Amino acid sequence: MTSDPSGWVDAYGDRLFRYALSRVRDEGAAEDLVQETLLAAFESRDRFKGESSELTWMTGILRNKLFELYRRQAREVPLLPSDEDADPQSEFFDARHWKADSAPRDWGGEPARSAESAEFAAALRRCLDALSAGVARAFVLREMEGFEPDAAAETLGVSRGHLAVLLYRARLRLRRCLEKSHFAPEAAG
Amino acid sequence: MSFLPSCRDVSRHLSEALDSGRPLGMHVRLHLTLCEACRRVLAQFALIRHGASRAPDAGPSLPAEAKERLRRALGGG
Repeated sequence: MTSDPSGWVDAYGDRLFRYALSRVRDEGAAEDLVQETLLAAFESRDRFKGESSELTWMTGILRNKLFELYRRQAREVPLLPSDEDADPQSEFFDARHWKADSAPRDWGGEPARSAESAEFAAALRRCLDALSAGVARAFVLREMEGFEPDAAAETLGVSRGHLAVLLYRARLRLRRCLEKSHFAPEAAG
Repeated sequence: MSFLPSCRDVSRHLSEALDSGRPLGMHVRLHLTLCEACRRVLAQFALIRHGASRAPDAGPSLPAEAKERLRRALGGG
């Protein structure tokens, strides 16, 4: 038995929206996911057993809607190895070593605490927006949703080897973007 | 240290190890003992994973017009 659905938007709308917005690229898509989630919860409210909180239950529905969206996008526009932006080799490295402007810097202070802040979440969203869609989706599934690599590859419609390439690119580019925008902006020059 | 893998190769191995769960090879570990930049990358990849796996507890709100539309759909407005 759920609470009165008329109170769901005020109780859960903002948190579901933030969750969705951190995983898709625009507000309209995030709004659509929240709407689909709340309407699906409304339709199935008689089956809610109260074994988890309502927010956990609705977040589970939202996650399934997100994965459906990713699968649909993968079917409509298959990710090809040549689709992603330039190979990171020349972007980050010279012959063997890090380029001077790409070498990882000291993030100082208490980076673990900093990675738990609202400012980090906002910076991560901006940095994800700067990635190509396939690279960003690979990171979301593996690092934000905790998918095992085989499941992430299946959802994106790519091979395990292609997923590894996507994740490598995502990690290199997010690392540099987060360094410049959040962890060590003073070193960015 | 040309017998060791390059920073480019090591960074790729570090990324792959995050997904395979397999231990790093001896040459990669030796490279890490000598290369501060790659040690930082190892720590920073893990730190980004830690931060990214947390649900955002602050940020933009659902726009007012979307809330109003949903309230009506759920019988509250």
